[in-house]
Amino acid sequence: MDWYPLYNSLRIAAVSTAAVFFLGLFFAYYIARLPRLLKGVLDVILTLPLVLPPTVVGWLLLCLLGPKQPLGAWVLNVFGTKLVMTWWSAIFATVTVSFPLMYRTARGAFESFDPSLAAAGQTLGLSNTYIFWRIRLPVCRQGILAGMVLSFARALGEYGATSMVAGYTPGKTATISTTVYQLWRTNEDAMALRWVLVNIAISAVFLLTINLLESRDKQKNRGGSRP
Amino acid sequence: MKRTMAWILALVLALSLAGCGSAAQTSGTKTEEKPAVELTVFAAASMQETLNRVIELYKQAAPNVTVTVTYDSSGTLLKQIAAGADCDLFISAAQKQMNALDGSLKGDTDKNPDGLDLLVQGTRVNLLENKVTLVVPDGNPAGINSFDDLKTDKLKLMALGNSDVPVGSYSLDVLKYLGLDIAQLEAAGKVTYGSNVKEVTTQVSQGAVDCGIIYATDAFSAGLKVVDTATKEMCKQVIYPAAILNTTKQQEAAQAFLDYLRTDECTAVFEAVGFTVVK
Repeated sequence: MDWYPLYNSLRIAAVSTAAVFFLGLFFAYYIARLPRLLKGVLDVILTLPLVLPPTVVGWLLLCLLGPKQPLGAWVLNVFGTKLVMTWWSAIFATVTVSFPLMYRTARGAFESFDPSLAAAGQTLGLSNTYIFWRIRLPVCRQGILAGMVLSFARALGEYGATSMVAGYTPGKTATISTTVYQLWRTNEDAMALRWVLVNIAISAVFLLTINLLESRDKQKNRGGSRP
Repeated sequence: MKRTMAWILALVLALSLAGCGSAAQTSGTKTEEKPAVELTVFAAASMQETLNRVIELYKQAAPNVTVTVTYDSSGTLLKQIAAGADCDLFISAAQKQMNALDGSLKGDTDKNPDGLDLLVQGTRVNLLENKVTLVVPDGNPAGINSFDDLKTDKLKLMALGNSDVPVGSYSLDVLKYLGLDIAQLEAAGKVTYGSNVKEVTTQVSQGAVDCGIIYATDAFSAGLKVVDTATKEMCKQVIYPAAILNTTKQQEAAQAFLDYLRTDECTAVFEAVGFTVVK
């Protein structure tokens, strides 16, 4: 059995989650401080990919990244590479659809963060960077971890936009979701079932691990939001 | 404020009711000679432009008939029909899918593997002939000028229909004839599969791939440059059969539409994009 789709899906989901971690935190932190109207508008724009059908997201991405579109053509000229039809093209799709999940959960976690902790840090002369990474994040750990789990799961399960942006090149851009679709289309139901079971197994193991980590966390932190 | 809103709401409601009322009146006063018939047609994706035009013309020929078409790869349509989808007329891009539904081929497990008997015997006809072509995006960035160029390193990525799609299986025939091993091409990451011929066409149009193998008619409709055409030896004749399904509730109307497809009016429409009509 060719295991490339598994390797590719995991790789895409991992890179995507890492990217979304930084992007989500960045936007969640800075947008929380904006005036209400601007915050509301940006909120809508950044959450849109969550509620748009993946095919709509895929279409919009192609408008941006296609080799004949302004951005895609520029990259082709300067770097000699197409932004679509590669294994990493799928990452654009997965980041777009999983970003809202990370952003919203991080925003929620940051907004319930007790600001007096940050103030206490400032009175001790700690830098903002220190306060963010060593005080705010650990306290908001639960929410952020939840956001990462959701993002990883969403990235692993992304199909519509991935199929449009990366196509199906066996051994190069095939993911578990696009492989199952192709196997079903070419009447290879036995193989399709195998991949379905693999995907269920991975997702189940992943969620179980996270649940274990969370329950261990809860036991350690009994009685407060102390890091 | 509240009163104004109430008045506006009342006005909007009144207008919409008036609209409904007048619509009912006009349809009531029209005397229909023939009862309204709804036909469902499943057709190969490559017929989209032409069949849509034919249906427009048919509205003049038979105004009481509403034709709804579903376009997709013939393989998908076959799956849907076999699963019980409501369909009156099926037009496939290859004999393979029609054979799989043909009761007269029940004994032949090669041609009719599931032993289905869903066609009305005697209604199956060969409608159109198409050609398989190699197309490139605007400007031909990879410089591919013939099927032979597929053997060279000029080819980085080619779009094909998957094996369930008729054009995909014709493509595999062409590649086999040229001595190209599809497994090798796949191992080199040079092939991407689309799930119907329109998807392959779009990928070529967008420049996402270096070239693709589609029908001459799709190339024409999409304005793509054809650099090579497959001969009969490469992939046999590309014949589109049509047949009425025995689950139909309006066989007469379906037969009338099928007969209409073979009139001179429709021949002109099909030939305009590159189809050859089978007489």
